[in-house]
Amino acid sequence: MFADELKTLRRLGVRHVLLQILNFASVLATGLMMWKGLGLVCNTESPIVVVLSGSMEPAFYRGDLLFLTNPASERYHTGDITVYKIPGADIPIVHRVLETHDVVSKDKGYVSASPLAQKQLILTKGDNNPVDDIDLYQGLEWLERKHIVGKVRGFLPYIGYVTIAMNDFPQLKYALLGGLGLLALVQRE
Amino acid sequence: MHTVYSRINNVSAFLSSCLMALLAAIALSSLVFTADPKGILDVQSLNIYEGHTRRYHNRWQDVTFVNFNLTADLTPLFNWNTKQLFLYLQAEYVDAKGVKNEVVIWDRIIHKKDKANLSLNGRNKYVFRNLGKSFKGASAANYTLKYNVMPYVGLLTYGEAARTGPLAFPEKRTEVA
Repeated sequence: MFADELKTLRRLGVRHVLLQILNFASVLATGLMMWKGLGLVCNTESPIVVVLSGSMEPAFYRGDLLFLTNPASERYHTGDITVYKIPGADIPIVHRVLETHDVVSKDKGYVSASPLAQKQLILTKGDNNPVDDIDLYQGLEWLERKHIVGKVRGFLPYIGYVTIAMNDFPQLKYALLGGLGLLALVQRE
Repeated sequence: MHTVYSRINNVSAFLSSCLMALLAAIALSSLVFTADPKGILDVQSLNIYEGHTRRYHNRWQDVTFVNFNLTADLTPLFNWNTKQLFLYLQAEYVDAKGVKNEVVIWDRIIHKKDKANLSLNGRNKYVFRNLGKSFKGASAANYTLKYNVMPYVGLLTYGEAARTGPLAFPEKRTEVA
């Protein structure tokens, strides 16, 4: 089955293989650069996330793609859908803001120059959950800005299901990666 | 040149760009719909009692109970790219310490256009409590009805459908009337 491919590989020589590897690496690097660039513009560590749980149904289902931004000049408001990550928890959570409390400084006479220097306490809840998220906060009483990855701005259904499928069936991931790698090596352009 | 592989490649690339263009067109089309419906929100009664909350099991805390009346026709918000409407009622006030608060006390998800013409008497769904122990010294609160339009594909939009004037918090009641 692979005899032909091996033959072409031998015919094309080492230079060709190296060139293809270089091409492959540049594609990967471009992807990474675009991802990080987008993250820089949106001010968030992951500007695109895939929904992993059903706690926001029927708004978001597993596999839906969400676009996030986290502008440094904006406070969070009730009704915003935020993605947050609790230290110690491995997966980020997508839930809606239920309460915000803009705390003022305890030091009398000090006024923060920007409203963003002010601490904001946040409570969230999944639309499909009966109660708020205190039990998910792992001992924290409130969320704060530092826990929040971003606000959901846009929505694309189902596209992210590929990644969920790849997580659920790792064989698929290896088959896909292997196939792509082989194609990249054998193809001649 | 015309191998099966290249044909599959071309066809799938063409189909996926068509799909992307279609999705983008749908997402952009919802920018054309700029409905801004307004409704009427009436807070009928406010009562404060002392109670225990889920957050602090062993502490007494003041809890406000809100009864409200709501009439709003939100059907104009439904267009072909509207998946659902998330409707929420929030209270905004500043407490005695100067903390600015926004608290959602009621919400509802509306899936269908024929359910979007609302006329209801409701009361708060979520516990309405202050950061501290009581509401004493807090400013009068505004109650606003807001909505979040969630599309099938595209951008999430927000709006405000109704607002009450500032309503002062009542005195705490010790007995249930």
